[in-house]
Amino acid sequence: MGTILFNAFASLQQKLKDKNQEFANVTIQIPHDYTAADLIKDMALAPEDVEAVFINGTVKPFDSILHDGDRIALVPPGTPGPYRVFLGMKNKNNRSGN
Amino acid sequence: MSKLLRINTKEKTYTFEEAGELAALGGRALTSKMILDEVPATCHPLSKSNKLVIAPGLLGGTPAFNSGRLSVGAKSPLTGGIKESNAGGLVAQKLAKMDIKAVVLEDKPEIDDAFSMLVIKKDSVEFLPADEYAGQGTNATINGLWDKYGKRTAVMCIGQAGEQRLTGASIQLADPKGHAGRACGRGGLGAVMGSKKIKAIVVDDTSADKVPVADPEAFKEANKKWGRLLKDHPVTGQGLPSFGTAILVNIVNEAGALPTKNFREGRFEFAQDISGERMVELINERGGVPTEGCHPGCVIRCSQVYHDKNGKYLTSGFEYETIWGFGSNLLVKDYDEIAMMDAICDDVGVDTIEMAGSLGVAMEGGLIQWGDGQAAIDLLNKIKTGDPLGKIIGNGAAFTGKALGVDRVPVVKNQTIPAYDPRAVKGVGVTYATSPMGADHTAGYSVTANILKVGGDVNPLKKENNIELSKNLQIATAAIDAAGLCLFVAFAVLDSDNGIQLIVDMINARYGLSLTPDDVIALGKSILENENEFNRRAGFTKKDDQLPSFFKDERLPPHNTTWDFTEEELQTAKVS
Repeated sequence: MGTILFNAFASLQQKLKDKNQEFANVTIQIPHDYTAADLIKDMALAPEDVEAVFINGTVKPFDSILHDGDRIALVPPGTPGPYRVFLGMKNKNNRSGN
Repeated sequence: MSKLLRINTKEKTYTFEEAGELAALGGRALTSKMILDEVPATCHPLSKSNKLVIAPGLLGGTPAFNSGRLSVGAKSPLTGGIKESNAGGLVAQKLAKMDIKAVVLEDKPEIDDAFSMLVIKKDSVEFLPADEYAGQGTNATINGLWDKYGKRTAVMCIGQAGEQRLTGASIQLADPKGHAGRACGRGGLGAVMGSKKIKAIVVDDTSADKVPVADPEAFKEANKKWGRLLKDHPVTGQGLPSFGTAILVNIVNEAGALPTKNFREGRFEFAQDISGERMVELINERGGVPTEGCHPGCVIRCSQVYHDKNGKYLTSGFEYETIWGFGSNLLVKDYDEIAMMDAICDDVGVDTIEMAGSLGVAMEGGLIQWGDGQAAIDLLNKIKTGDPLGKIIGNGAAFTGKALGVDRVPVVKNQTIPAYDPRAVKGVGVTYATSPMGADHTAGYSVTANILKVGGDVNPLKKENNIELSKNLQIATAAIDAAGLCLFVAFAVLDSDNGIQLIVDMINARYGLSLTPDDVIALGKSILENENEFNRRAGFTKKDDQLPSFFKDERLPPHNTTWDFTEEELQTAKVS
């Protein structure tokens, strides 16, 4: 058990709003062995709604296990420019964890 | 026959001449080639030897989507090196329709001569007194000129900052609605125009023919695919139209790379208050326009109109870098104060990024207090009156640092580092250090990962792969600037196997050529070679390709990384 600080950006905010989910600076309790992919599923988001998961300020694979005190943010497709590359979103196979 | 329009600003004469070999170039390729060949690299940027070269891109004036960008080049009064500054608006397409490859402002009148304005038509140029516009802001100038010449003309002009020849001065262009929201901002090119005593240029393409296209069918086919590529991509089709470039505030903040309090921290406590998502909420609540194009034929539409609390127009073209610069950089969290600063900069004609640097340094030096948005607004307002403090701020961050005795000055080659902390996004830092433009994010604002084989897992906090990435991006950016395309097309090109090919197909169809993607990349390289050569002649060395030392000495929270590239490593990012 533990808690994470959760944020979602851009178009994901409206998607979560439509589901009556909070999306800004939300504290969420998580079980053991809980991954970013689990979080996306529990938020009722489709995997393709999310391009990148930031864990403590770094883009990580979707199958990364979340830990107590982690800061998580979900980013949809649509991040402009080289920043997808510079920030490590591009060319990282986020969904398989490779 | 493609023409160069040379205008002697001292004699008030003009000549149309055949473009000759230069006809094969466009945009930044043309401006940088002409500056290298015709401007003595060691001249004073405000002297008669400097030239202001104004050029549409290779695809300018055609129906190609997002091809209406304008390149303006000169020796920069801010950096002392070569400069190309790029903007939307209407000028590029109209010059291209008149088959004018470039307008070149040469020589200069006496310093106390009155300002003139130019009206450029298909086969003629009129020099007219600009007395009624001199001393006016860019909005009043554009409005006045549209009243006189009609809304179908294109206008570019300087504000009071350019008239004073301040090194932070921009050239502002009317957008399709006549707002002065599009800027050739960087490098102080407004001061060059001011030194030549040209307040405004009106471009009237009445009676101009359509741009000739060698193979209309092939062009139409390629452009159709091109439009689809742009519209279908999540960045150019959804991300940018929905939130503008301000979509980056939350993301860059999350990455720990949003420079805060003059590059002390990588996260801003109030980032969500100045986010793109918040901006769109405010625009919608107040009846603004959340998405519009900066030039006809734009399908990305990342610009917007921002209204004040009373629902009245305040500013447009409100970019991420501006919001960063007047927001987290100064610890200001009030969106309306940030928008007001943007509006003042557009009207007085100064670069918002450079002014962000100036104001950060002003706060550093205790001239005004951190987080005091109103004091920052008051300071910016001093630029238009010629107040000595306004002149200090308007000359940019490095000048302000000297005036106030401040050593924490975030510049490379005297130009303010924009909205991405190089310690947390190291690839961008390499571009800041090594671009011939000085610290400039757009110099590497393009990616063609597949074509250029930018691969591997890029870690923004480590050095690996970031040199190669930056180098390739600088090359691709230069090529896109030459085509006259908006750099944001690169978002879609990055993810498409045939994106570059479609651009090449359009250029080939336009001119009857058979270029390959490799030729376009070679063009990008040649642009950087020309620019680096100019800077070498101007006296730049590898010592100038460095970030300020505080980036090496201070760790940036939250990742606690430093800038750790050596001088030699950085040199390998340069095309020579």
